[in-house]
Amino acid sequence: MSKTTPKYVYTTKKGLNKRVVENISYQKKEPLWMKDFRLRSYEIFKQKPMPTWGADLSDIDFNDIYYYMKATEGPANTWDELPENIRETYEKIGIPQAEKDYLAGVSSQYDSETVYESLREDLEKQGVLFCDTDTALKKYPDILKQYLATLIPPADNKFAALNSACWSGGSFIYIPKGVKVEFPLQAYFHIQMQNMGQFERTLIIADEGSEASYVEGCFTKGTLITTNPDYKPIENIQKGDNVLTHTGTYKPVRHAQVRPYSGDLYTIEFYGDSTQALEVTKEHPILFAKRNRSQDRNKTYNVQWGKPSDLQQKDYLVMPINKEIESQDYKVFDTVRGRAGKGKLPSPTKVKIDGSFMRLIGYYLAEGSVELRGYVRFSFGAHEREYIHDVKQLLKKVFSLDKTYDALHSKNNGVSVTASKVELAQIFAQFGTSSDTKHIPQWAMTEDPEKQKELIKGLFRGDGNYYAKKHKSGFKQAFRINTTSEKLARQTRDILLRLGVVAFLNKQMRREQGRKDMFTIGIAGAHMKKFGEIVGIKVSDKINGHYRASMFGIDKNFAYVPIKNIKKKTVKNIPVYNFSVKKNETYLAAGVAVHNCSAPIYSSNSLHSAVVEIIVKRGARFRYTTIQNWSNNVYNLVTKRAIVEEEGFMDWIDCNLGSRKTMKYPGFILKGKGAKGEVLSVALAGKGQHQDAGAKAIHLAPYTSSRIISKSISKDGGRTSYRGLVYVLPGAKKSNVYVSCDALIMDEKSRSDTYPTMKVKEKDVSVQHEAQVERLSDEKLFYLTSRGIKKEEAEGMLVNGFIKPVIKEIPLEYAVEMNRLINLEMEGSVG
Amino acid sequence: MLKLKNLTVKIGKKTILHNINLTFQKNKIYAIFGPNGSGKSTLAHAIAGNPLHALSPQSNIIFNNKSIKKLSPDKRAQQGIFLSWQAPLSLSGVNVFQLLQIALGSKKNPLTLKKEIEAYAKELNINTELLHRSLNEGASGGEKKKLELIQAAALNPKLIIFDEIDTGVDVDALKLISKFILKNKKGKTYILITHYNRILKYITPDKVLVIMNGKIVKQGGKTLADKIEKQGYDMFK
Repeated sequence: MSKTTPKYVYTTKKGLNKRVVENISYQKKEPLWMKDFRLRSYEIFKQKPMPTWGADLSDIDFNDIYYYMKATEGPANTWDELPENIRETYEKIGIPQAEKDYLAGVSSQYDSETVYESLREDLEKQGVLFCDTDTALKKYPDILKQYLATLIPPADNKFAALNSACWSGGSFIYIPKGVKVEFPLQAYFHIQMQNMGQFERTLIIADEGSEASYVEGCFTKGTLITTNPDYKPIENIQKGDNVLTHTGTYKPVRHAQVRPYSGDLYTIEFYGDSTQALEVTKEHPILFAKRNRSQDRNKTYNVQWGKPSDLQQKDYLVMPINKEIESQDYKVFDTVRGRAGKGKLPSPTKVKIDGSFMRLIGYYLAEGSVELRGYVRFSFGAHEREYIHDVKQLLKKVFSLDKTYDALHSKNNGVSVTASKVELAQIFAQFGTSSDTKHIPQWAMTEDPEKQKELIKGLFRGDGNYYAKKHKSGFKQAFRINTTSEKLARQTRDILLRLGVVAFLNKQMRREQGRKDMFTIGIAGAHMKKFGEIVGIKVSDKINGHYRASMFGIDKNFAYVPIKNIKKKTVKNIPVYNFSVKKNETYLAAGVAVHNCSAPIYSSNSLHSAVVEIIVKRGARFRYTTIQNWSNNVYNLVTKRAIVEEEGFMDWIDCNLGSRKTMKYPGFILKGKGAKGEVLSVALAGKGQHQDAGAKAIHLAPYTSSRIISKSISKDGGRTSYRGLVYVLPGAKKSNVYVSCDALIMDEKSRSDTYPTMKVKEKDVSVQHEAQVERLSDEKLFYLTSRGIKKEEAEGMLVNGFIKPVIKEIPLEYAVEMNRLINLEMEGSVG
Repeated sequence: MLKLKNLTVKIGKKTILHNINLTFQKNKIYAIFGPNGSGKSTLAHAIAGNPLHALSPQSNIIFNNKSIKKLSPDKRAQQGIFLSWQAPLSLSGVNVFQLLQIALGSKKNPLTLKKEIEAYAKELNINTELLHRSLNEGASGGEKKKLELIQAAALNPKLIIFDEIDTGVDVDALKLISKFILKNKKGKTYILITHYNRILKYITPDKVLVIMNGKIVKQGGKTLADKIEKQGYDMFK
């Protein structure tokens, strides 16, 4: 991550005047007509009074605002300067460091242009135009001139005028006739929102018969996820599972999801593990480090989040090191003892957990076998005889076992030592009873690394070898441990990471020979030094006259493994999986760190005043989904409007969680016969917040229909208002209007109001209006808690139940995201 | 298994229960009788931990040898206490399956749970469609009580308080409910709160307790219930 000052540092002075407006236009090298448009708008802004209805806006000081900053600039210069609550929320949601830095304005890594560039390819084939509005002004000035501000002219309201005067950024989308975009346009908005300034301007034109929809990124089936206590295929991940996250700690899964996916699928193979590859959809963020110089190995690694298309061969994938340490001095094992005629009685065995016991476990994993009714046996080959003595000593030390039985195997000249004790057999049986089910128990995975070294030592002595051979090219050396247990192999690799050693994992397919597959953990190059110290074998600093090197890097947080190759294929309707993880929102897939779906949008700006205009032509369909979670110091005053021609369909899904004050009434003008419009909105107002949201529907033509469903929640003294206008003009015969607005008030301090306005000037129409205000009752909370559900979880359930009618109409990915955010809000309220 | 010691309960400023001392044992069925407003439901809610019920400092509730007086309702439920409500509440957007899934957390595999719930529903003869609807919304009195029973069965508590399980239930449903209760009684303690004898035709209590004006006025066997049926509560005045 580059921490240098951004290249583009241009900021107008605080406050707005004619000079500032001219300057914005000049900086952007705009055509004259746009400069005139801005200046005209500025005059209107000056003349228009502040709205006196809706949220109280008297705190806004127009002179205390920066009106233009280059996209890479934010008001805070460092992460630490961001307001504390926003920082906390970022942490809670788990926004990746790269994004954090970008949002704080200290990094220019996230360049909106490149994001668009990588996405545009797919759309270009279909003739879709998609770029930021500034670029559109340069590339498609005629289209902009024709449509911009036709739906929301500067004179519409004070904030539309302000936006028109100093707009910057936003999206421009043109979908040609009949084109159906199966792409996640909304996801693009997500990414792009984070790059937007305060006054973005979006213009969307859906030409006749076109359609736009939304998809989000996830993993394919079979991907192995590192959990406590196992490596699980992603399709088996459930809510409540503890997964290892990119910070090396375990966090519980909040919920899992599966959905069909069509589109590009990336297969990323990497060195260090030839047994699996990472298969991801094109949206999925992956933790990686860029290769600094293509021919050289990195000396330093700057980790960042990127999409598969951002990755190149030789870049490094990142393996987080498990940092959980839970060391115990003693452990009590549940063992039982049979008594003649009396059945089995519990007879727990207390064992000191120290290096000795760990080394004994290592020996067992390599060479042990167990007979449950009576004994544990360690068998060694003839050349490993020296370890027999060690095993005997350990049995004596750990279990006070004086008597063991030795046996000589004439067949292979090997030796075995047998300890005959039922409890012992039961303890060791817990580590697996056959060679391919052997594994390290979870408690040992998180033990003190010093003790773990002993386990590795025992395992290596039994199953390992030191490969050293002279080839033509010189000496080749490596340590290897072989096992038929896949789980044991992965666990050994993960423990070695904790000990500062990067091992590689290979699989030898032997099924066809009628044998079990063999897994090899290999340690080569520079990593041999440290491994040699662990197992007590001296390794020279140099080999063939050179210092030992390695393609793998490691520091205290991560191991870095180079990408072997990246393949892209197109898939149709395959199931893909994803899940959400508490706090970090990250997990390990195929051993490397990846991120859950896109995080919500935040900004520390104090005034956000966007304008969104959408033109839906004959028979076209467009859905615009927003889930906004602004920081609590933002005034969110947005004008959104669509015009819908004959048989067209416009659908606004609008969810507002954050902000200090929101005034937002997505609207549509149903201009053509049979046009349809829909607004589904959810608002949540917490402490100090006022969400004044609603909808606007204007029926101009016959057979038009509008449907408005609004759900609002107020808590901790927050306030929500529904403000709606439905206007049916004369001649809009046979039209349908349906308005439903429900409010849920969580406590005595909070408030909710409804301001519905209906102007119906046509008699031949059907109008339906429903409104309901509900209080969250203590009784309902008691009902749920009396079932064993925690209070905050019960609140979340009731709130999610309340907004369900809207949420079920939202695409699954958004519904999941929305539920997650609501739960976060509820957790916050309980502290 | 459950001991109430000097239990005095206030709701707001009004004292509803006065100094109640009772012991409930494992594998036994208790019936608590009393006229309307005598404090029966308050007793049930106080045991389950309704936060609006204030206990006096001298009061104590001992469950499995531990005081649960200070525990929140969810913790009490986790320890094995279940209250079947007199008038179960409707919850929009939450069905019984979701409720139980969250209540049980990772203790039960969701698929196993689903099958289990469906089996109970079949046994109690309720429409499986009800399981997928918002809980208790548009359900009849009998259906609501059956949904309470399904929750009790899935959560497998040690102590179940049935607050008027027989109210608003027709004869056929009552028979099914009783059968279901008896079938699952092993190792549990049941407290049946009722103000008339209906359910006792099908379930014979080990002990009958009479509560009036917030005090236990009489304890006895099954015959006590028959006596109340004939003579009413006046004899305790």
